Amino acid sequence: MQHNSTEEQRSNGVATLANGERTGSGRRLTDEEFDRYSRQMIVPGMGKEAQLRLINSKVLIIGAGGLGCPAAQYIAGAGIGTIGIIDGDVVEPSNLHRQVGHATSRIGMKKADSLISHLRDLNPLPTYVPYTFPISPDNAADIISQYDLVLDCTDNPATRYLISDVCVLLYKPLVSAASVQKSGQLIVLNCPPTPQGRVDKKYPPCYRCCFRTPPPANTQLSCGEAGIMGPVVGLMGVAQAGEAIKILASGLHLPSSTSNDTGDDPHNLIQPALLIHSYDLNAAPGPYTFRALKMASRKKNCIACGENSPQTLTLEGIKSSNPNYLQFCGLQTPKTILPVQDRITASAYHATRQSGQLQNHILLDTREKEHFSFGSIDGAVNVPFGKLLMKAATIKRDGGNAEEILPIKSAEDPIFVVCRRGLDSQEAVEKLKELGVDHGGKRKIVDIIGGMKAWKEEVDPSFPFI
Amino acid sequence: MTTTPKPPPGHFTILYFATATSFTSKNVESLPAPLSLRKLVGVLEERYKGIKEGVLDHSLVTINLAYVDIPEEGEDDVVIKEGDEVAIIPPVSSG
Repeated sequence: MQHNSTEEQRSNGVATLANGERTGSGRRLTDEEFDRYSRQMIVPGMGKEAQLRLINSKVLIIGAGGLGCPAAQYIAGAGIGTIGIIDGDVVEPSNLHRQVGHATSRIGMKKADSLISHLRDLNPLPTYVPYTFPISPDNAADIISQYDLVLDCTDNPATRYLISDVCVLLYKPLVSAASVQKSGQLIVLNCPPTPQGRVDKKYPPCYRCCFRTPPPANTQLSCGEAGIMGPVVGLMGVAQAGEAIKILASGLHLPSSTSNDTGDDPHNLIQPALLIHSYDLNAAPGPYTFRALKMASRKKNCIACGENSPQTLTLEGIKSSNPNYLQFCGLQTPKTILPVQDRITASAYHATRQSGQLQNHILLDTREKEHFSFGSIDGAVNVPFGKLLMKAATIKRDGGNAEEILPIKSAEDPIFVVCRRGLDSQEAVEKLKELGVDHGGKRKIVDIIGGMKAWKEEVDPSFPFI
Repeated sequence: MTTTPKPPPGHFTILYFATATSFTSKNVESLPAPLSLRKLVGVLEERYKGIKEGVLDHSLVTINLAYVDIPEEGEDDVVIKEGDEVAIIPPVSSG
């Protein structure tokens, strides 16, 4: 009950902050600001002080894609004073169904520049800072240190762990969202920012506290490979902006280390929550579209923020590849895992077929069935990679007949495996051999190098590759 | 926020999200209750071979919308009761 007064202060948006400069007190709103921000300033809980705090805030948006575009629009619209945008990619036509901050006329432009040009048109008042290269262990701390709050709008686990770690070390709140296919997630992390190693009470979790280990590399889905529905990722990005504005307007981004250590730190009271959004294409308005889940607080044994974390995670360590994020996320597997004799180029496979030397053979296509539905090589049989792995695991465990993994019964015909870009197919070849489908080497099982992408480049330029 | 239909008597509801949905080809099902949380992994692995390594090892689990730790050996177990709602939530990382 002793925290009531602070809770009230926060809810009406006029909490007295330790850092007077950040409250913006002593400055008047310009006429232009007054006009532009009037509709949000009159909302109960906002007011002039909260607006000035937004104007005096610096927000870094990492990733200018499906999350970053909608998030940035509302961050800019709300009048955040300095907005940094990091993205190393360029705008492509396949981005535009969801990345609403880009435009057809800006295809080929760096995404950070393209999004900023859109934002400037929306609101010329903020200072915009483009970073047209990807965030990395080398540059993360230097960039993040210049901002008050970070939005993680990136697209891969390695970067997510990196950003979370650096935010813990630099006392930055992190609003993290993610989305793929028909699912979205959103969580506010490290807010209020709390020094590493403090576990005596309930403190906010970091990304590692929630997701201790990344999924295996072969199950990490990217939007490019797995697809994404625009409104799903859009909702998550907009919600990210909403959380960021809430934190900045109420001054929650200020580290709890600035307050005294008497034990009644109001910052301890925030209940972390994970918002889940799942969108069902097959159902009328789904039975469970949104869910808010109560999350646990900081984990005692977390290597980034837990008890002994000052020994396990430092800024210097991150710069010198400790931890190694790519390895942690299983992404340092070499591109070629199979020996040459188990592989064939797409053009060589085509030529062998054309010459009639390859009569009976099985061609397995391990892409997802949606990809397969757009086109395939003549005679190909679709066995999606995930299903293949599951069948392999079942056969291995129960000791069933390994041949049953094949959709076509034939004990001798050579097998060729093709996937989208040539990675899954190599793993599939390995799995089949492991199961003994190659009869100890008597039957050939061959990977088509570079997958359907190579097929399009080398054999059939009209092939509809997605 | 909406809720799923109640499970039949003697059962709890389990929801699958993201890759857990693709792995099980289901959004939701009912399993017999009560069940110890520690045993849940085994029960799911029995039904969906490979789900432990492919999904559960890196997912978070909630009971009635609140995060729970899967207890390690020697730690107190949690019992999933009749009518509970369990969710399997793998991390999504794309964007």
